[in-house]
Formats: sequence, C-alpha cells, structure tokens
Amino acid sequence: MSKRNIQLEVLRYRPEQDREPVFQTYTVPCEEEWVVLDALNYVKDEIDRTLSYRWSCHMFVCGSCGFKINGEPKLGCKAFLRDYGDKIRVEPLDNFPIERDLVVVIDDFVDKLQSVKPYIIPKEEKSVAAGEYIQTPAQLKTFKQYSMCINCLLCYSACPQYGLTNQEFIGPAALALAHRYNMDSRDVGRSAREHVLASHEGVWECSFVGACSIVCPKDVDPAGAIQQAKFTSAIDYLTSMVGIGGK
Amino acid sequence: MSARKPYVRKMSKTSWFLTHARFKSYMLHEVSSVFVALYMWLLIDGLFRLAKGPEAWEAWLSFIKHPLVVILSLIAFAFFIIHTTSWFKAVPQAMRIQTGEHFVDGKLIVGGHYVALGIFSLFVLILAGVA
Amino acid sequence: MQIIDADIVIVGAGGAGLRAAIAVAEADPSLNIALVSKVYPMRSHTCAAEGGAAGVVKANDTLDYHFNDTVSGGDWLTDQDAVELFVNEITKELIQMEHWGCPWSRESSGHVAVRPFGGMKIMRTWYAADKTGFHMLHTLFQTSLKYPSIKRFDEFYATDLMVDENVSAGCTAIEMRTGEMKLFRGKAVIICSGGAGRIFPFTTNGAIKTGDGMAMAYRAGVPLKDMEFVQYHPTGLPGSGILLTEGCRGEGGYLLNKDNYRYLQDYDLGPATPKPVLKSMELGPRDRLSQAFWQESKKGRTVQGKWGDVVWLDMRHLGEKLINERLPLVRDLSISYVAADPVTDLVPVRPVVHYMMGGIHTDINGATPVAGLYAAGECACVSINGANRLGSNSLGELLVFGARAARFAVEHAKSVKAPREALVTAQAADAEGRIKALFKRTGGKQRVAQLRREMNLTLEEGCGIYRDEKSLRESVAVIADVRARYRDVALEDKSSVYNTDLYQTLELGAMIECAEAVAHSALQRTESRGAHQRLDYVERDDKAFLKHSMAHYNPNGDPRIDYLDVTITKSQPAARVYGAAAGGQAA
Repeated sequence: MSKRNIQLEVLRYRPEQDREPVFQTYTVPCEEEWVVLDALNYVKDEIDRTLSYRWSCHMFVCGSCGFKINGEPKLGCKAFLRDYGDKIRVEPLDNFPIERDLVVVIDDFVDKLQSVKPYIIPKEEKSVAAGEYIQTPAQLKTFKQYSMCINCLLCYSACPQYGLTNQEFIGPAALALAHRYNMDSRDVGRSAREHVLASHEGVWECSFVGACSIVCPKDVDPAGAIQQAKFTSAIDYLTSMVGIGGK
Repeated sequence: MSARKPYVRKMSKTSWFLTHARFKSYMLHEVSSVFVALYMWLLIDGLFRLAKGPEAWEAWLSFIKHPLVVILSLIAFAFFIIHTTSWFKAVPQAMRIQTGEHFVDGKLIVGGHYVALGIFSLFVLILAGVA
Repeated sequence: MQIIDADIVIVGAGGAGLRAAIAVAEADPSLNIALVSKVYPMRSHTCAAEGGAAGVVKANDTLDYHFNDTVSGGDWLTDQDAVELFVNEITKELIQMEHWGCPWSRESSGHVAVRPFGGMKIMRTWYAADKTGFHMLHTLFQTSLKYPSIKRFDEFYATDLMVDENVSAGCTAIEMRTGEMKLFRGKAVIICSGGAGRIFPFTTNGAIKTGDGMAMAYRAGVPLKDMEFVQYHPTGLPGSGILLTEGCRGEGGYLLNKDNYRYLQDYDLGPATPKPVLKSMELGPRDRLSQAFWQESKKGRTVQGKWGDVVWLDMRHLGEKLINERLPLVRDLSISYVAADPVTDLVPVRPVVHYMMGGIHTDINGATPVAGLYAAGECACVSINGANRLGSNSLGELLVFGARAARFAVEHAKSVKAPREALVTAQAADAEGRIKALFKRTGGKQRVAQLRREMNLTLEEGCGIYRDEKSLRESVAVIADVRARYRDVALEDKSSVYNTDLYQTLELGAMIECAEAVAHSALQRTESRGAHQRLDYVERDDKAFLKHSMAHYNPNGDPRIDYLDVTITKSQPAARVYGAAAGGQAA
C-alpha cells in the first residue's frame, strides 16, 4: 500500500484561547485508500490530542462527520484522498456556530426537525392486533427517497438561504422530511404541518439554488421535495380558499 | 460558568455569492432575468402601441430595428435560452411523474418540454407568416 | 453540581433507548424521562444495521420454528424462557414500527416483505432495503419527538451509576459542550448504551461502540455475562471493516475461495445449490461461516493480495436490478471502498468483529441484580443470543426488551421512594472528583492511542475466531498491563469545551474493563461453543459449561468469574445441524 504525505489544513477554534478560528496545518502520512476522516484520526491519535471533531460509523450512515472539505460540504468518511491533491483544507460546516474546532452547534436544526412534526399522524389510531397498513411498493416508492436523510447537515451548510436568514429558514432536510411524511399513504398530517411548511420560514423561503441536492451524500434531493411541497402548498391554499380542504 | 463561546460566522448580505462558483453562476442567472424582464416590457409596450394606432405602431417598429435595440434583443434572447434550459432542467425535480413503482425518466420530461416548445414556436411562426 | 431529577433515566438513545423512552411515555405520560446520550440519537450505531429484523408473520412460519432456530443458533446457551418471550413479542413490535412509519420493503400485495437470513429455517426477516437499522432508528427518533415527557440530553457522556444499598438512584454525566458534570437522579435507570466492538481492531462497529454502559454497570457491581462470545460477521470489507449485510447472501450471493470454489460445502453446510436454501451454505450461521474462513485460510485457500487474506463474495448473478433495489448501500460501499462493483466484480470480504452476545446481566424483564437498574439492547445479555446470535435477531431484541425493560422500570419507579439524597450526592461528588483528578494529572507517559492499539491487537490475536490457553493467557497479561499503564495517562487537552481527548480517555477505560471480562471469561471456559472456539478444547461440554459466565469486577485485580445455569424449557441440547439435514426452505 502506497503512502503519501498530505498537508491537512484544519480550522481550529478553541474557545478558551482563540478569539477567532485559525488554520493549523498537519503533515499526515496517509495510505492511498484513506478518506479524509482517516487522516483526521491519524492527527488525533499521533499528532495532536486536542483536535476535536465528531465521527462514528465510517460508512456514510450516521451523519456525524460532515465537514467543509476544500470548500465543499462533504462527509469525512466519503471524501477519498484519491480524489484530492496533497493539500486538503478541512473546515466546520458553514451556517452553524462553531462550538470547538470542527464541531458545530446544531441545536437549531434539531428544533426545526421537531417543528415539522416528523412522524405519522394517522387518520385514526390503529391497534397492533389489527396488523400492518397495506402499502404497495408504488406507495412506498412515492416517499422513500425522502426518508433516506441521515441528518448530516451538508445541505444546511450549502444552503445560502439558511445563512442569509440567520437560520430562520427551516431548511432542506427538515422540509424534505415533512414532505416525506406528507407523501406517506399512512399519514393524514398534511394540514397539521401546513402552517409550518407554508410559513414565511417554510418552503417559500427557498429560492431553488439547488445546492442542497448537489451536496447530499444520500441523493435525497431536498430541493426537489421543497419544490413539490410548494406545489401542494399552493394547491392547499387555493382549495382552502374555495372551501374544499386538502389532506 | 461554562467556557463555551460559540463562534458565529456572519454571512455577508452583499458578497456571499462570491464565496463559491455555484453561487456566482446562480446569481448571474438571477441577475440576467432583468434582461428577460426588460424584453417582456418591450413586447407589452408594443402591444399598447399597436392599440394606439398605425403611427405609434410604426414608431415602435422602427425603434426595435435600431441597432442598439437589436443587440439588446439578442442578449435577451441568449438569456431566454439559458433560462428556458435551466427551467426545463429543473422540472423533473419539481414535478415527478410516477407510474407504478417507477418515476418517468427525467430526460423524457425535459424532452417533452422541448418538443412542446418546438411545436408552440412553430405555431407562432406560422401565425406570424414567417414559416 | 447541577441536579436533574427524573423518574426514569435512560442512558443511550439508540434503538433500545428510544424504544424504552417511548414505552415509558406511553405507559405513563406523567413520568419524567431523561434520555441521556453521548451522541445525538440519529448518530447511534443502530443506524448501521443493514439486513433486517426477524419476526414470524407469514403463513408457513411458526413461533416454534423461530424459537428453535434461535436456540440452536445460540448453541443452547440461550435462556429459553427469554427466547420464547422474544419470538412471541417481536412481530407485534415490528407491526408497531410499521404504524410509526418505518418504510418496510413490501410485497406487491402491500404486505411487508420478508427475506432469507442466516440460520433461519423460514424467510422471516423484515427489511427496509439494506438500511433497516437506519430506518428503524430514524423512525424511533422521529416518533419520540411526539412525546413531551421525553427530555433529551444529547451529547452527555455518562460516567457513573449511583447505587444506594443495591438500589439504583441515577447516574452522573458530563455535558460535553460545557464540560460540566450533572447528576441525574432517577428512581429507575435503563442502560441502552450498545456494545463494545471497538475493543477489537477490525470491527464493523462505529467509534462510539466503546462499552461505556457495560463498564459502568460492571464497576457498580453488576456482572457481565457471557462476554467471551464475540460475533465475527463473515462478510466485512477488508481494510475498513465495513459491514456487507447478510442480505447479500440471503439474496443469493456466494462465498468463493481463491479457486472460485464455494468452500462452505466442505464444512457440513452443503450441498452447494445454485439457488439459496435456508440454513445451508451461505445461509448458515455466522459463527460457522467465520470459522470456515479461518480453516480455509489455514489451508492456504483464501485469496492473498492487496487486501490481505480474503475470500470473494460473488453477487454478479443477482443482476443489477435486484442489487439496486435491495442492496444499494452494499453497492455504494463496495465501489467506494474496494473499487469492486457487485454487479460486475467479485467483492473481497473477510470476517470482522460485529456484535457482543454478552453484556450486562439481566433477567427476562431486563432487570439487573441492582434494584431499579435495567439494561436492554446490545449492552445487555438477557440472553436470547447465547453463544451465537442469528442475524436479524438483534434489531428485534432492542425493540422487545427495550420496551419490556421500560415497562418494568415504570412499575419500579412508581413503587420506590426517593433514594437517600446525601449518599447519592456524595457518590456524584466522588465521580466528579475522579474527572477533576484526571484533569490535574500531569506528566503521564502513556498515550491513549498506544494503549488502545495494544489492547486491540491482543484481543485479535488472543480472543479471535479460534482461541487457546496460550493465546488467552497472553491476552489476559497484556490487558492487565494496559490497565495498569492506563492510570498513567494524562490529558493533553485541558479544555472544558467538547474535549474529545477526555472522552476518548474515558472510553478507553471502559474498553479495557470490557476487554478484561472478555479475556478472562474466555480463558475459563474450557470448551468450544458457538462463537467461542478453543483449539485446545474442541468439544462442547454441556456437563460443565451449559452455564453463563458471570464476570464480576474487581477494582484491584482480575475479575472473578462464576457461573449461572442456563434456563432450559422445551429444547434439550443437541447437535447443531445445518446443510441438507436442516430441512431449510428454498429461499
């Protein structure tokens, strides 16, 4: 296995000593097969115990290790060194306050996730004894893509609206998740979610830059979900105007 | 007392789009819509002139034949093409068509739009007596 | 120190913790729940489970079949009352998950679909493509947001249990963003903190799987049960250890040696049929498949090369459509990490540490010997997995026993009076004192990464797929040495804000304690059973070892190991039969 030295420029911010974030460069002897996360782990283990970042699964599914790598929001475990030169810049995700080094404060996202009621709101309570809902593969297909979000927040980092509105905009992942439940055949909660989705901070704040869908590591296409939600939101508005109510 | 001091990076309201090539092209796209709007305004103005009578209409016709206006029209036309393609490209994301367990291929939806555009354009050209 | 009072404190917010929290909220909305986790719930390692969750649902299946598969799969070290309860409950839990929105894959009729899985006689594994754990975790997390009584404490690292005269009284945890220690006082505590796979160097487990909760209970006097039973999953990607689900083989994938020969037929798993047959060949249990790899390697029939010692997972005959539909993550991971597209290429795989059958000793209700202390999920040992867990029983386990432990915790919380305040406060102060002392320690010569590496290596070499007395004695000695040197680790990072040097150091401490229980339990079990294979004691010894190992913590030395009888109800120990004689259904 071939090794090569990578200059890893990491944005550091230690609240007890730094007034503002500063870059620190580490020279890391890397295996060719590594991802950027492996290089960070090398730094943590062998060079600098004080570097802080989040990570866990190393297989694109836990969503912990979202960083801005060479200016692009990426999962550290999905950023293969083979796709980069010998100098790699790693920064915390944009649009979130920096807690420490590469760790950002994501309280705002967690609140937003809760605000869209991301759970099944059934027509009526169904007992377990009554068995499962019948849902055809086609009905599953309708929402499945929007259920694949791992909450890695790359989309929030890529979304200029989220930054420009000082985190007022509900944002791609939470809106796509609301749309996921709206599209689920087991759910009748669209009207319960409508006041959030159609609010000033909801789908209409999206100007369809489309960056969220480009950076999404799971091909969720939140931008598409939001445009579709705009359409249903407009229909719901019109039908409520003429008094025939939607879902 | 905690030593927490989260660092908030403020986003510039005026130059944020310079931070990424993706945002630059987005902004260029948005700004170019001014030309599209201007051209629409020009066409509507033409309609009003036509309603006013032959003299006003002739004046408008000669105005749009002015070389400067022709150049502006060409620029607007170029942006029209860009906006048309980018709009069409976005349609499959915003409007998924599901048949059974599959979604209609985005390329088909985009292609359908171009075909519709072609037919409509041809219709207009025939009406105008050009084709 | 800030005190947070709750009726029920749950440590860990993965599948089991979330399921427990919801069960408490549904049982009695007036009870306050503190859900304490060192990561945000959606980061929990449940998300990495791929294949599915087994539950009897189809007309050709019976609860007895599931029971028998699980008991024999566990080489009769399972407690049969627990298994019986489990197979009775699990389908209800899976339907409940369906009602909560879990996107189970479906048949064309709209009923849930099931897939074949290793060691199961009938197809009964519910799945959501190859991201079942991910979907279950997010469904549980999102559903938990409905209940106002669930108060989450995300990114709080639990350090110690408060125990007042053998009655659980809460725990301490450090808020990671401030570094402040908090005391969570609760009438009942449920530990749902996951396994300890990171004690091994090559594992499918994420960085967070460091056995913190196991070690916490162990130090508080609760025995760790059956810790020597460590599951190797037969198909991990070399290098990274990333899991390729058993679903790959369930859908019909082959395992080939360097001669492109389906070698499993040489290990009492045949005959090799082109289409998968349940309980045969690639659908044998994980312990047997991982052992077969080891044997092939000894015979020089594995593939040597860039990826070290591997065999091939051949999925090419499954076709692109099926792979995209049912194994999309597997395809993504294989292409990204080993540049092999399952549609066109052979994928290199090798056994990889995946799951701890052992854990915190609990009874059938999830209760530990400490009153008011419960455990569920991988950190617990109920035990339904015995000496070898069947794939797709763990996602079910965390639902059934997460909910069950919660219901018993509710009863307990309603019946007890508050613990003695002064004593609990003193214990919390002790816990805080230990952290402060760690911060004050200077000039430590030992490095966390070095100690972790030594522990990892000795476990792989000494406590791997096959063990013997020599290798185990070596492991025991190395772990004791690492444990002694661990006292000389000083923090390089003295910050109070998100200090991951601190948490990695504490995690290493927990891992050393778990590793010690693994090695000692393995050394003293002089027989071969399930995932515990001794080269020097190759036979199963029901006379001496139809018993659970119980490792008791000793602050000053080696743990004490004693034994607890296995609960046998209706299935007497017999030979485990796979291959043609097992009568598995054609998948």
